[in-house]
Amino acid sequence: MDSSLAASDRSHSGRRLHPTFDELCQNTRLLIGLRWVAGLSILASTMFAWAVLDISLKTLPLLFVGCAVLVYNSILYNLFNREKKTRQHVWRVTWVQVILDWAAMTVLVYLTGGITSPALIYFVIHAALSGTILVRWQVRSLAGLAILLVGLLAVLGRSGWLPHINIPELGLDNDLYKNTTYIAAVLFFFGTTIITLSELVTDRAQRLRQREQRIQHLYEARSAFMRIATHELRAPLAAGLSLMRNIEQGYTGELSPQQAAIITRVTGRLEGLTVLVDDLLALATSQEATIAQVPLERVSLRAVLEHIIERESPSAEAKRITLNTDLADDAGMTMAAASGLYIIFGNLLNNAIKYTPDGGRVDVLYRIAPSDRQAIVSITDTGMGIPAEDMPRVFDEFYRASNVKNAHIAGTGIGLPAVRMLVERFGSTINLESEEGKGTTVQVTLPLAARHSVVF
Amino acid sequence: MTHTILIIDDDPDVVLAIRMPLESTGYNVHEAGSHVEGMAAVDSVKPDLIILDVMMDTHTAGFQMAQELHGPDAKPEHKNIPILMVTALHQTTPLRFSPDEDYLPVQSFIEKPIDPNMLLEEVAKLLKKE
Repeated sequence: MDSSLAASDRSHSGRRLHPTFDELCQNTRLLIGLRWVAGLSILASTMFAWAVLDISLKTLPLLFVGCAVLVYNSILYNLFNREKKTRQHVWRVTWVQVILDWAAMTVLVYLTGGITSPALIYFVIHAALSGTILVRWQVRSLAGLAILLVGLLAVLGRSGWLPHINIPELGLDNDLYKNTTYIAAVLFFFGTTIITLSELVTDRAQRLRQREQRIQHLYEARSAFMRIATHELRAPLAAGLSLMRNIEQGYTGELSPQQAAIITRVTGRLEGLTVLVDDLLALATSQEATIAQVPLERVSLRAVLEHIIERESPSAEAKRITLNTDLADDAGMTMAAASGLYIIFGNLLNNAIKYTPDGGRVDVLYRIAPSDRQAIVSITDTGMGIPAEDMPRVFDEFYRASNVKNAHIAGTGIGLPAVRMLVERFGSTINLESEEGKGTTVQVTLPLAARHSVVF
Repeated sequence: MTHTILIIDDDPDVVLAIRMPLESTGYNVHEAGSHVEGMAAVDSVKPDLIILDVMMDTHTAGFQMAQELHGPDAKPEHKNIPILMVTALHQTTPLRFSPDEDYLPVQSFIEKPIDPNMLLEEVAKLLKKE
């Protein structure tokens, strides 16, 4: 794996990220929304229990709690929706609401039976929700506070300092609140649940934030790369082409027919390269790349390969690399976009030559599978190969294998991702086999168009 | 009368590519390689036309310079000199533009790679207008 990426992973996990402003606002809005429901359900269930089920509840105090929740929620709602929100302001609202909720829940638990109250579970839900908006130490303190509050209720009830409120319809033992073992067991399970859950939620929220931040960094790096690449790749091409056109259009004096022909060829090649650079940059900037939207047509694979081999052979010659080609006679009509095929095989052959040391060998093999429905192109080199640990990532955008970077071979890491995208677009498959230091074989399998297919 | 043209561009190859057709047509050509040099040359050379590259030391140096020469705070003697802006942005960025008096006070654009014949046409057009 890329060592710099591993390092950044470590540095990310070590950092505590506070919730972003948007996240705080979103979660506070969610809590305010839930609180309307909570306040109204306290009122409704109390009324229902009193009027329909005829349960002996502390009806009036419970209704009061429900109303109090609705009242402070509307105050929070107004505070939160003030026109100019600052981070500090939202933090304050966050804290005030948590403290008020804790107080309301404590009263609610007390009114419904203290340590024997079925409403205890609300603390757990609230602690979990808080985990999404508060940072770890705050969530821990709140969980501790919840355990303390419930413990205090239990102790005060047990010692008789606080009159116990019993709901006989629950069918619990009337003296259950005095049972020390029961109190200890409830506190233990309540405590462990609330701590585990709030830790888990805080941890997940934290990780999501880290992931989000990492994605943000990647996007920034990517657009920075694009800006540089756009300028650095196009500028020399544009300057070169501008000069060539001066010669072509006769501003540097008369040319012999042979010179003129060469200039036209060179200009053509530079223009081709400009298009290629533009296409690759487009491919890298957006997934819905321009080439990928070109309608498919019948293209002769053999013709494309011949052209690419001719185009790349000078660079092979310059490195004294034996470029061995073995192409089947079949034209290999395939449904694709010619510009896409040029990118696929141009990149693959260019890579093979680029990563093969001087005096090496590159084989280009083009065969038609016996079934006659598939064309297979394989390019084998005797180059530096791809380290096994880099293999899974060579098709990732901007990823470059470690040995390539160490050897200081220029590249952008956008070639293979572009190749794979186009290969998929043409319904083909690509297969990569490599051994570090020995060489690489890339095999592309393309479906062939029916021989006498009718094209509408 | 021979027209004087000032090329402001930091890429010597592009400057050469612009200079050749202009000189062979008989224009009097001067060049400057940076924003600062360019501003000084505008006053010393007193050109009839400025050919300005959009991207120089920084990606926006050309824009800034166009603002300085033709913007609301520009000197009156600068405002009358037409600017032909050289750009490679048309194809690669989503920021597509055409001459706009308010936003970018230049009279015309030419794209890189430069086509000498088109460059001469554009230059002649701008000088005739003046």
